Order: sequence, then C-alpha cells, then structure tokens
Amino acid sequence: MSASGRILSDVRRSRRPLRLLGASGQLGYGIPTPGFNAGMARKPDLIGCDMGSIDIGPTYLGKGEMATAPEATRRDLRKVLLGARQLDVPLVIGSAGSAGAAPHLDATLAMLRDIARADGLRFRMAVIRADLARPMLLEASRDGRIVSFDDMPPLTDDDITNAAHIVGQMGTGVFRRALEADVDVVIAGRACDTGIFAALPMLLGFPAGLAMHMAKIIECGSLCCVPGGRDPILAELDDDGFVLESTNPERRATPTSVAAHSLYEQSDPFTVHEPEGMLDLTNARYEAVDDRRTRVSGAIWHDTDSPTIKMEGALLIGQRAVLLAGAADPRFIAQSKEILPKLSDLVRDLVCEDQPQDYTLRWRVYGVDGVRMVVPANEPPPGEVFIMGECIAPTRERASEVVRTCKQYLLHFGYPGRLSTAGNLAFPFTPPEVSLGPAYRFNVYHLLKVSDPDALFPMEIETLPS
Amino acid sequence: MKLSDLAQVIRSKNSGPRRLTLDVMFATDADYQRVAQSPALGAEAVGELYGVPADQVTVIPYPAGRAIKIVLARKIMAGDPGDVDVYGAQQHAPLLGVEL
Repeated sequence: MSASGRILSDVRRSRRPLRLLGASGQLGYGIPTPGFNAGMARKPDLIGCDMGSIDIGPTYLGKGEMATAPEATRRDLRKVLLGARQLDVPLVIGSAGSAGAAPHLDATLAMLRDIARADGLRFRMAVIRADLARPMLLEASRDGRIVSFDDMPPLTDDDITNAAHIVGQMGTGVFRRALEADVDVVIAGRACDTGIFAALPMLLGFPAGLAMHMAKIIECGSLCCVPGGRDPILAELDDDGFVLESTNPERRATPTSVAAHSLYEQSDPFTVHEPEGMLDLTNARYEAVDDRRTRVSGAIWHDTDSPTIKMEGALLIGQRAVLLAGAADPRFIAQSKEILPKLSDLVRDLVCEDQPQDYTLRWRVYGVDGVRMVVPANEPPPGEVFIMGECIAPTRERASEVVRTCKQYLLHFGYPGRLSTAGNLAFPFTPPEVSLGPAYRFNVYHLLKVSDPDALFPMEIETLPS
Repeated sequence: MKLSDLAQVIRSKNSGPRRLTLDVMFATDADYQRVAQSPALGAEAVGELYGVPADQVTVIPYPAGRAIKIVLARKIMAGDPGDVDVYGAQQHAPLLGVEL
C-alpha cells in the first residue's frame, strides 16, 4: 500500500488528530534544514509545499519558466521527497514550477524522476495538470460561462486563442481524488494552496472549515508567527480546532500573529473564496496554548452550488530591453521630466526614419517617481537618481536598437543651463543596455463557471522508477 | 503623531494582480481603537493619498488582528507595461506620514 492509502486506512480504523507539516510556502528558495528536521522529528502525517503564486507576474507563466533557480529547486524537492519517503507519508506539492502550466509541471517532474533515480527511491505519484483546453474555453465563453471580476475587461476569443498558457487554479476536490488513488506523491499544476493541506483531513471527515482555515495558514510556512519567517510549520488538527507551532523555536505563533495572517494578500480577512465554496472566518477564535503555540477554532465552510475556477493566462507583448544609468547633476535631475520625453522624441526620429514607431519606451527615475504609484507634489529633489529606460519592441534587435540609441543621445543631451557638457549619465558598468527577452502581460484573469470543478484537471498515475 | 509612530506594521501587497491591499497593525487594543475611530484612515483620506475616488477604497476594521485593512484598485495591473511594483510591496509609503 502507498502512503496516502496507509494514512487513510490507519486514521479511519483508529480516529486520532492529524499532524501536517507545511514545509515551504515557495518551494525552490531554500528550506531551512534545522526547521525541516525538527518537523520531521514530530512525525507528520503529510508533508505539503506550495510552489507557486500569481504574485511573480506574467512572464514566468508566459515563458514557461520557473522563477526559482534549478539547483535550489532540485535541492528543496530532494529534501521534502526524501523526508516523505523516510516517514512513508504523502508529499503534496501544488502550483508546480512557479506558475503551474505544462512546461512548469514537466520541468518539476523531470527533477523528481532524476532525484528518484539518483537516490534509488520507489514511489507512486499522482500528476494533475492545470492547463485549460482552448476549444473548451471558446465554447464556455460563447455560453457566457466566463465572467470578469476585479474590473478585468471581458475575455475575448483572441485572448483565449493568443495566450501563451492558460491555467486554472484547481480546488481541493482534485487533491482528494489524488490521495484516494493510493499514492506517495501528489504533484499538481496551478492549484489553490488550500487543496495541498485540506484534502487529506476532509477525506477523513475532519470539519471542512477547520481544514481549510488550517491549510490557508500553513501553506505560508512560519509566516503567521512573530517574527515571521520561512521555516516549516506544524499543525495538529482535531475535530474542534488546530494548534499551530513553528519548527523554529525562535518563531512564536501567537493569537494576534495568527489572526493577523488572515489579512495577508487577501482582500477580506473574514472570507476566503475557493472553487467549491467559501470559508467564513467571522467566528474564528485564536487562543494561546503557551507562548509559542496557538489554537484556532470556529471557521465555517459553506459549499457553493455554483463552483468557479479562477483562470490565469499570459500574452506575449514583445521583447524587452532596458537602459540602466545614474545621474548626480542637480540641473539634470530638476529637468528630467522635460528632458526624457524630448529624448524619446529625438530617438524616435532617428530609429523610425524609414518605418512607423513599432515600440513603446518608458522612463522611470528612481529617487523621483520610480517606485510610488502616486507622488506627492513639491518633494525636494534627491542628490542622485537612477534612471531606467524600458523598451518593448517586436524583436529583440529592435528593442536593443532603441535603448542603445537612447543611451548615446541621453548621455549627450543638451538642456538649458547644462554645465556637464562631457556627459549626463553615470554607468555602473558597460554595456548599460540589457536585453531581457520576451515580455508578457496577464490577459486572462477571469472566472470560469463549471458544474464539476474537478473535471477540468486530468490526473495520471506514474510509478517510479518507470 | 504620525501613523508610523504608532503602528507596529504598515505594509502593502497585491491581493491578486488588480488589487492592492494595505494592512496597518497595532501592538495594543488602545492603539488600534484610536486609529480605527479616527477619519485619518477613512476611505476619503486614503483615496486622496492614493489618487483614487473614495468609492473605490474599502476600509475593513479587523479587531482580532488589531489591524485595519484597506483595499484599492490598482491603476495598472501587476506586470502590465508601466507597472512600477509587480508585487505591490512598496505602496505603503504614503501611509507612513498620515497625521493622527
């Protein structure tokens, strides 16, 4: 019997609390070994890791690349895989490879197979894909089953056809199905982080509200503690609540720190919307067990009769190149808001001599308005600034041409009162122009109404070594 | 007194690529109550700081976390051309100097 089958049958035979280890909120950036080993010593019933997020922006989804470094990702995967196999407990990983589309999942699977071979591991693995088929989406769109939220413009057929990748965030049901298939490892494409930890307790009949609330907290590791951090976290769940404890003795899960965590990256601290329903935290209670453990209870789960899947898609918008430079001349800094548009016009006249403008060019002046979305009036000018020019053009060569031309003409741009006639810019190194490759934007961030939220996500079982 | 003199945490982050969420947390219930009851972090005042109409600002008091949550629409979707802060993690700055 495999790990999930064993845990399910053990706990069904002899009811007891479940202990879960949230090993990483972002697998691939390193899991502190002392904390992981401390978690292992407590013999958890499941090891879970979240591997992705939409926060990282559209380019990883579009390009099909991981945000994390391959060597670090492999090291983390090996650590959690060896740990789970040693304890013979399920390892559950969601949002494989940062963005959870086919190339991300496949790259993660290749690493897992490689680790299994090198370490001589044998296990059964459920693989769940999150890519959404274009014909199905076009039909859903025609049937009015794709809806906008957060003021996103309506989805067009072109959006569906042209996006580089479109994934759906799978819900808890898909993870339940995988754990019921008697496996040692579950690896999922783009997924709601709750499914990783809530599926096993829900299969065993623990209250869904508690299981989902616990999952929502421990998917971030020890972030719910003071001081918050990346160490793994333990949760022990019974029928009336769960107790949280960081695996790092210096991190304390206090009632306030845990309660405050439900604010994190959420629009509403009282409700969490999931594909299959809504988690209501209005009556959640947080009580100290001791100075570094908190017991949580009171969350209520409401099933919905109109399930929705949140979709994410990224569209290629061109090739990006940037110019990186600094300046320390007060007159140049004071006039930069006038100089940069004039420079943009000058460059356009040069690079568009025999073709229309086919690129966008943007300037950010760090120290003035590079970071803030709104800048207060009448701020004193800074002593020095960092200037970034960003071009998005149809080809890499074209983007590079634009920023290289910018560099030379901004260096020598004449403006009223100029004293520094040998050059306006300081380059920390040369070349100061960098080609960043393809640029993407999110063109799909919509809800898909479905009757069966699990049916979109096909599962395969793989036995290793194959 | 400025908000940054009283609050324990003042932070911002995306809540999805189209929303920005600001959390202000306090060390004591008294500090929390003082700010929760003041108009300094009301929808009007915050909208003015961030250049959005008050009806697009949601302010949610959260006593269990001794916190006030504010949600705003992002003018530019995270990662779109022209965005300045893909994670939205540095948009708390306008709150620091709010006078109480």
